[in-house]
Amino acid sequence: MNHNWNFVIAGYAIVTGTLLSYAAWVRVRARRLRRTLPDESHD
Amino acid sequence: MLVAGKDLRIERRSRVALQQIVPFGGIVVLVFAFALDSDRTLLSRAAPGLFWAAVLLAMILAIGRSFAVEEANRARDGLRLSGLDGGAIFLGKAAAVAAELLVLEVVVGIAVVVMYDVTLRGALVLVCAGIAATVGLAATGTVYGVLAGGLRARETLVPLLVLPAVMPVMLGATRSFQAALDGAPGDAWPWVQLLVAFAVLIVAAGTVAFGPLLEEA
Amino acid sequence: MTARTWKRLFLAATLVALGATAVFALWVTPPREEQGFEAVRLLYLHVPCAWVAYLAFGITAFASLLWLVPRTRSATWDLLAGASAEVGVVFTGLMLVVGSLWARPTWGTWWEWDARLTTTAILFFLYLGYLALRRTGATAAERGKRCAIAALIAFADVPIVHFSVTWWQTLHQQGTVFNPQLDVKIDGSMAFTLVLAVAAFTMLYGYLVLERFELAQLEEGREERELQHAIAERVRAERSEQVVPA
Repeated sequence: MNHNWNFVIAGYAIVTGTLLSYAAWVRVRARRLRRTLPDESHD
Repeated sequence: MLVAGKDLRIERRSRVALQQIVPFGGIVVLVFAFALDSDRTLLSRAAPGLFWAAVLLAMILAIGRSFAVEEANRARDGLRLSGLDGGAIFLGKAAAVAAELLVLEVVVGIAVVVMYDVTLRGALVLVCAGIAATVGLAATGTVYGVLAGGLRARETLVPLLVLPAVMPVMLGATRSFQAALDGAPGDAWPWVQLLVAFAVLIVAAGTVAFGPLLEEA
Repeated sequence: MTARTWKRLFLAATLVALGATAVFALWVTPPREEQGFEAVRLLYLHVPCAWVAYLAFGITAFASLLWLVPRTRSATWDLLAGASAEVGVVFTGLMLVVGSLWARPTWGTWWEWDARLTTTAILFFLYLGYLALRRTGATAAERGKRCAIAALIAFADVPIVHFSVTWWQTLHQQGTVFNPQLDVKIDGSMAFTLVLAVAAFTMLYGYLVLERFELAQLEEGREERELQHAIAERVRAERSEQVVPA
């Protein structure tokens, strides 16, 4: 009955993949925005 | 007084829309019948749920209509400048929508009874549950209608916001209708209580929030 | 120590916690027959995701409340509400997916109308509506107001939904063959792993919200700059118009 490992692997893969992608997406967008900033301006 | 006057004015204007929204409800009843392959027993058993689903869909149109009218003539500004209390405006608009919905429900109800082969029973429960549910639906729709008012995506946004929020009404209304039609109206009363509680809460929230929402930044 | 260093440390700690969770969840803890043998390991994903989803929503509501109260109003709360909501959507979606993957081997079906899954599905759509609302605001103040109220109404609605669905399910249970209990009697290594998982996911939530919040601040700043840019252009254009007519 150990073939349920498929579901476990699928679950862990989806969770890891999604969270990694999301984190990467947020960070990439932030980095792009930071580059367009003029010099360090303090509000 | 003023609120009732506004209520009637809205309804008179909206009578034109009633000729579109009510037929829409009727068509949805037909759509469900086709979807369920005209299976008489299935339709009859699912009648309460299908009825309220049709009402819900038609309500989306009614809300859209209620606020499109405001936007057409810059009436939103007129509302603000009229000096009416935000809460009063809310109650007026919600009451108008509720009245439209009640008319719709009667018509759709007749269609459902006829086409889905339903025996009507438990009239008291049906009426109480129906009114409580309608108030809840109208109030929720009005709150979200003004919340999304003025936004370009309003017509698609309001359904997305309203439908998840009124799930308790959907549950309470279908369950109580089901209990009434099954000849066990006693089972329905807890659900009716849920409907009433929901209606009270959303009306209170709307009365408080409508004024601030009407003000533009 | 700069803020960036702290952030890096936090991320490192989070990754360590998550790694430890994985080791415990996938290796140390035993499979359970009643919960789908190995599939029970999905518990250590499902429960933390659920916890984070509700936590995120709670923070969105709380931040919205702070924004609405004039004394504590600050753009920070509005941006925080939005960031938390977006992260919350991600975890809610994951919770639904993992729940589904667990349900299949355990109950034989991809979905079951049990109270928690149903409420979560509705929660998911409430979030989506809120996020859609966030993208349409005119000014920051206008958007803040609409979204804050929407968040609070949704937040108040969730217990009502949960209550009515639970009640609905209790009535249904009389006929079901399955026992859709996602509550597992746990002890020992399982309990520990679960706590560890919740802690690790909470840290991850914190990190993701932090990043998302910073992004939101940057986006806000860019919008303001674009607005000022447009205004400056306008002024320049008007000035040149005044000079030209001879």
